[in-house]
Amino acid sequence: MSILSSFRAALRRVQGTLDTGAAADDDMRAELDAHLEMATAENIRRGMTPDEARRRALLDSGGLTVASEAVRDQRGLPWLESIVADVKYASRTLRHAPAFTAIVIITLGLGIGANTAIFSVVRGVLLKGLPHRDADRLVYLRQSTDKPDGDNIAFSVPEVHDLRSGAPALGTLAEYSPMTYTLEGENSVRVNVGLVTGNFFETMGLSPILGRMTRPSDDGPGVPPVMVLTEQFWRQHFGADPNVVGTMVKLDGQSVPIIGVVQAAPWFPDRVDGFLNMVVSPHHLSAQMIQGRTHRMTQIVARLTPGATLHDARAQVSSVYTRMQRDHHDAYDSTSHYRVSVVPFKEALGERARFTLWLLMAAAAFVLIISAANVVNLTLMRGVRREAELVVRAALGAGVGRLRRLLLVENLMLTVMGAILGLALAFGGVKLLVGLAARYSPRAGEIGVDYVVLGFALGLSLLLALLLSFVAFVPREGTLASIVNAGFRRMAGSLSRQRVQRVLVVAQVAVSVVLLAGAGLLMRTMVELSDVSTGLQSEQMLTFSLTLMKFVAPGGTTDNMSFFRSILAADVHVKQQYNQMEQEIRALPGVLDVGLGSQAPLRASDQWLIKFEGKSTAVGEALPSADMRSADPSYFRASGIPLLQGREFNDTDRAGSGRVVIVNRTFVEQYFPNESPLGKRIALTGEVLQFTPLSGDWRTIVGVVGNTQDGGMDQPHRAAMFFPRSQELSFGGSFVIRANGDPSLLEPAVTRIVHSIAPTGAIQNLMTVAQIKDQSIAPRRLNAELIASLGALAVIIATVGIAGVLAFSVSTRTQEIGIRMSLGADRARVERMILWEGGVLLGIGLVLGVAGAYFGTLVLRGLLFGVAPHDPATFIAVALGMAAIGLSACWIPALRAARVDPAVAMRGG
Amino acid sequence: MPEKLEVQQGTLALMILKTLEGLGPLHGYGIARRIEEVSKFRLSLNYGTLYPALLKLEQEGFIKAEWRQSENNRRAKYYGLTAAGRKQLARETREWNQTADLIAAFLAPRREAP
Repeated sequence: MSILSSFRAALRRVQGTLDTGAAADDDMRAELDAHLEMATAENIRRGMTPDEARRRALLDSGGLTVASEAVRDQRGLPWLESIVADVKYASRTLRHAPAFTAIVIITLGLGIGANTAIFSVVRGVLLKGLPHRDADRLVYLRQSTDKPDGDNIAFSVPEVHDLRSGAPALGTLAEYSPMTYTLEGENSVRVNVGLVTGNFFETMGLSPILGRMTRPSDDGPGVPPVMVLTEQFWRQHFGADPNVVGTMVKLDGQSVPIIGVVQAAPWFPDRVDGFLNMVVSPHHLSAQMIQGRTHRMTQIVARLTPGATLHDARAQVSSVYTRMQRDHHDAYDSTSHYRVSVVPFKEALGERARFTLWLLMAAAAFVLIISAANVVNLTLMRGVRREAELVVRAALGAGVGRLRRLLLVENLMLTVMGAILGLALAFGGVKLLVGLAARYSPRAGEIGVDYVVLGFALGLSLLLALLLSFVAFVPREGTLASIVNAGFRRMAGSLSRQRVQRVLVVAQVAVSVVLLAGAGLLMRTMVELSDVSTGLQSEQMLTFSLTLMKFVAPGGTTDNMSFFRSILAADVHVKQQYNQMEQEIRALPGVLDVGLGSQAPLRASDQWLIKFEGKSTAVGEALPSADMRSADPSYFRASGIPLLQGREFNDTDRAGSGRVVIVNRTFVEQYFPNESPLGKRIALTGEVLQFTPLSGDWRTIVGVVGNTQDGGMDQPHRAAMFFPRSQELSFGGSFVIRANGDPSLLEPAVTRIVHSIAPTGAIQNLMTVAQIKDQSIAPRRLNAELIASLGALAVIIATVGIAGVLAFSVSTRTQEIGIRMSLGADRARVERMILWEGGVLLGIGLVLGVAGAYFGTLVLRGLLFGVAPHDPATFIAVALGMAAIGLSACWIPALRAARVDPAVAMRGG
Repeated sequence: MPEKLEVQQGTLALMILKTLEGLGPLHGYGIARRIEEVSKFRLSLNYGTLYPALLKLEQEGFIKAEWRQSENNRRAKYYGLTAAGRKQLARETREWNQTADLIAAFLAPRREAP
């Protein structure tokens, strides 16, 4: 038989199964009758009497009923038929228990939904394969120190050379140096780009979707600069123009051709808009860059040599690094713990998200455990009510296997419906979670509900269905008589099953307490954070940053000195532009004050090495450092940063006059703990001065200002120093505009002023101070809110669980309660008895939960702020809250028990 | 009356197809009669054997059924070969002959080794 005909036959039979078969039965009947008639007629022709003829024909037929059955079996698929019957039966029973069905589906839906949504994020961000060719061969190198901001300090070119020559396991090693330029045009934007070596794309295993990638011939001086766009930026800024290759763009005034668009991929450590070859930045080809061992601006990605393992690479890198530290003492001060790690690229991409995501996944799993426990409890209770039915079915001949299958089909219908509801919830939840993931991972764009996620949800529901069918009661053959004899009512309270229910309730309470404790601590963290003072006297301010200085030397010079000279020349004009903007903004209605600094308040800034006049640092000791910022005379006033000692900057602090500096309170506490800082002199120091146009001259401290929460509300205060803008180059600038109304209303007017003065200027981070503050705590808040919602979900489900189990216990004890009451127990006593029963479960659950939380919250340590992982107040509040909710859940069944009418109960009603 | 044989699994389909090829569209009674005749009444077909086999062939697309008037002016369901059925008949005939040869060779009395 050919495959086609088998397939056709199978299809017909499935069709035959699903048809009701009434029409087909009639047809068959008619056909068999016709056959019988013809046989009878033939017998008559042979001389039999009509009766004899018919009897004979019937005898020859072999039985019409047998024949009909055989035809019916051939028509459909018998096994499919019985499953269809099961499904019909199951949907009928479920329809008859709408409350049970609804509660189970909703409970499962919430549990499955939360897990599916979070799993889809885990999959997109952590598990899914990368688009890079042989991505598991890619490694990321990270250099870190114990200094502030020392997490990932990048590498210098000499370090890259040492690694390249000393660690053959790294195979091809590509360099990547992040930069920011203004992409000029009608709507100028600041673009984050990577300056890369020609082997970058080959190493990363990424291909162009348009044009070509950079290649080794694009390295070195004397080649034209070229730009490769990322797929995302190409879509977003160039509208996915297929003819973009060959277009010239202006970056900080320099014309660069676009040579290609690279396929979509997650970028690390920063999101980038494009890539350029090194020649675009004179600095990157200068001797200082190439020879300065502490001039660390380069990220390293490498592809392991075929045959080499990660272990080989780590061993080789570690021995090269030890040699480097031995040969260059001065570049690695021993107190700062310089170290290098070799991390698989995929891990590096996921490292910031990993902890948060697994935490959420664990919380969601807890919710699923609680909802599964609830459903198991409900099923057990319902099972008791159905025992009579199942026993009768068994007694009538349904095998145990058949009954199990019946239950499995029923449970599958429940869990699959739960999964469908869960998927609907997950689709909504994923959108919310993408926002969260985007703050932690460059791969947030890859999150979605795909077939693996669907499989995950389906797998969960299958597992749950199996579990539910396993716990359900199925009468065993041979025990039927005893069950029937005992009377169905008697077995309802079977102790062992009630014990299972109680254990489940205790577990639900315990798990809820753990979740609530975590949620409570995270919420406390948010309260603590919102109580942190920004350090600003008012927050009614609009801020934005604007970089007018161009960092590309005209003519593609690679000489740093002539590059500096061109910057110096440009500086005069840039300063004029900033000043004019400041004046015009000040004149806007609604503006109270305007200031200009390198950073807006609450924004982070970089640390620079400093030295103090008359103090020296011991060899091998980490050099002192401080955040460097700049400010104009009205910056502190406009920002609302209080002056604590000395004076603010004023117009006498000009270029050429004595260099001055204002420091913050932490700076004083750190470096002048017991003396007045005013009049003391500090200076920038370190190798970095050789290749920046910053002066290493002594600067006199003329004032002390208050601390501000730069770089985040959860960050410790850092020592900061402010240089007057008039005495420094205007690398960048941030305006602070204090308004007497809603500061965001000033946005259009401010934008207009900026563009009238600097048509190609790209405004960045146009935000009110309130928004900056909000942005710094948003990820934590989202995290806390997610955990708290999961906690709330757990409590709701657990409460339903307690109430349900207790109510059930009351219903099985009606007779007992009736006896007690007729013997003199009053209502209050009965009520107490039931409350006590629930209270014991609750109590055990609380104790276990608090114990679990004691260990569980330790993992949260890194996420907490201003509150300890074992914060007694939170623990007590959580325990009391859970107790109160749990007891009120016990109250309803207790009241019902107290209303039992002894007369009715004793009669067995 | 000769001894009746149970029809062997798998051979009935071939007999039905061959019958329809020889006689053209025929109702179940006619098919049964014909098979019994050809077998010299050694075979007798129950309805419970014949009709599931007809239904199976129909499901596989080898025969097609339609209700018609019979020669005696009675309504009966007639089965006719389809193109696929013809091909199937040729294939099964070939396979059956090969199998029969093979079995015959096996069962033939062996000559003594020289």
